[in-house]
Amino acid sequence: MKPVVLMVGADKGGVGKTTVTRTVLDYLAAKNVLVRAFDAEHPRGTLQRFHPDVTEVVDITTAADQMKMIDTLATSEVKVSVIDISAGLLAETLKAFTDVGFFDLVHEGEFNFGLMHVVGSSVASLDEIAEVLPYARGKHYFIVKNFINDTSFFEWNPTVYRNYFRGAADAVEVNIPKLNEMAYEQVEIAGVPFSDFVGNRQSNGQVANNSLVLRGYVRTWMRNITDEYDRVGLLDRLYDRTAAAA
Amino acid sequence: MTVSDFSTASTIAPPLPPERAERGYPANDAARPSFAAIVASLHGRTGKTLFARVLADYFLLSGNRPLVFDTDFTEQTLRASFPFDTIVLDLSETRDQMMLFDTVAARSPEARVVDVSHYVFRKFFKVMHDCDFVSEARGRQVEPVIFYIADRNADAYEEGRQLRERFSDCALVLVENVFLGPLKEKTLRSAGYRAFDSHELCMMLPLLDPAVAAAIQEAEISLSEVITRPLSRSDGNPFAGLTFDQRAEMRGWLMKVFRDIHRVTRAAQSRAPQLAPIDY
Repeated sequence: MKPVVLMVGADKGGVGKTTVTRTVLDYLAAKNVLVRAFDAEHPRGTLQRFHPDVTEVVDITTAADQMKMIDTLATSEVKVSVIDISAGLLAETLKAFTDVGFFDLVHEGEFNFGLMHVVGSSVASLDEIAEVLPYARGKHYFIVKNFINDTSFFEWNPTVYRNYFRGAADAVEVNIPKLNEMAYEQVEIAGVPFSDFVGNRQSNGQVANNSLVLRGYVRTWMRNITDEYDRVGLLDRLYDRTAAAA
Repeated sequence: MTVSDFSTASTIAPPLPPERAERGYPANDAARPSFAAIVASLHGRTGKTLFARVLADYFLLSGNRPLVFDTDFTEQTLRASFPFDTIVLDLSETRDQMMLFDTVAARSPEARVVDVSHYVFRKFFKVMHDCDFVSEARGRQVEPVIFYIADRNADAYEEGRQLRERFSDCALVLVENVFLGPLKEKTLRSAGYRAFDSHELCMMLPLLDPAVAAAIQEAEISLSEVITRPLSRSDGNPFAGLTFDQRAEMRGWLMKVFRDIHRVTRAAQSRAPQLAPIDY
């Protein structure tokens, strides 16, 4: 199997990018996929707080850390690398990966590459998409609409919307549903993967004392996300198997 | 018949698994699951709140002082009957959902009675389903039983059938209230009604003299006092000016319903899968 790199990014903060990454890590773990994650939110690392076992914090702007990620792809036992790119660095990171020849290797079939682009509900997001599109061509490009923290619908003009997406014919749209606020808050406080919150486990492996109602909300929400990722064939696309119909 | 005849303490006491005893759970607590009675009906005016009261009094007389949950935020009828033990909830609030399901599923010796208002019927069972309430409760030695009160309409039976399917791991007692009158023809022919043909856990709320029925509806009347107070004393509460015969009828009615509750809760308990996928 080819090594896979899945980038999760957004050009602006506050769209729940790290939350999306966390759902992806839970999803892959549930599918028995061994995964390593890089948290580009240097030096703090929000993702690392939730998934410390598999996450390493990197400074994606330095050549040393870029090498750490790319050079180990072929040799690592773990074939799937998820990179959580900090706000504002998506376009820059894509450019850097181009410069070091990563995308050439992708085209030559050495690696598989997927990009989950988390967009906000404002029109500004569309410009963001336009900026990223040149890098996304020919790859597995997922446009993730994140409804986790708000109920407001994406008020994009359909015509404008279609124009932007004309450049990305194979872009796949993924919707992340809303999660009950109190449940979301409690998972934040617990600082554990969503699956551990549902399983009532603390970060040290001890039994937690989470509300069963809130666990229920998270469980149902995760089930919906799993259905959504299954629907778009996330895993098949990353593995380059026959892509499921979107 | 005395009150102790109703006690749930006596017969069913599965031996304490050794690993449990080692971890120091109190023996009597672990050996005697408490009941969580969930009383629901699809429509209003089915005698649901009265039945919830009777259940609460049944547990009270069995020596299991109940915690009562009233989900009718606007009327709060049950609180009038059990002012000190009733928690009134607004299920549109997450906090109240937590208060309800987390408390009802907590490991503790009290019985719990939940009166599910028909206004929140769907919401209640959705949350109950989503939080995997039945196995969570059972894992903490709380045995849930749904008392579903049907009425004359076909859709009530259909809803009951779906409820039974959806909560297949939970005992569902079909309660038929004779007071509501004979079933409609259409109901008798419906698939929902026939689905309960061979249902094991059924009970009936028998007919009652209208004057007695009116008296029993008074929220302030303590039903357990009706049972424990000598019939010969007619003064004041709880008998509200009823004749001797009416007092006797009220008591007889209660005894009959208590006996049925006793029978179905026992049956529900013995059928419950022997313990817990999840152990806390």
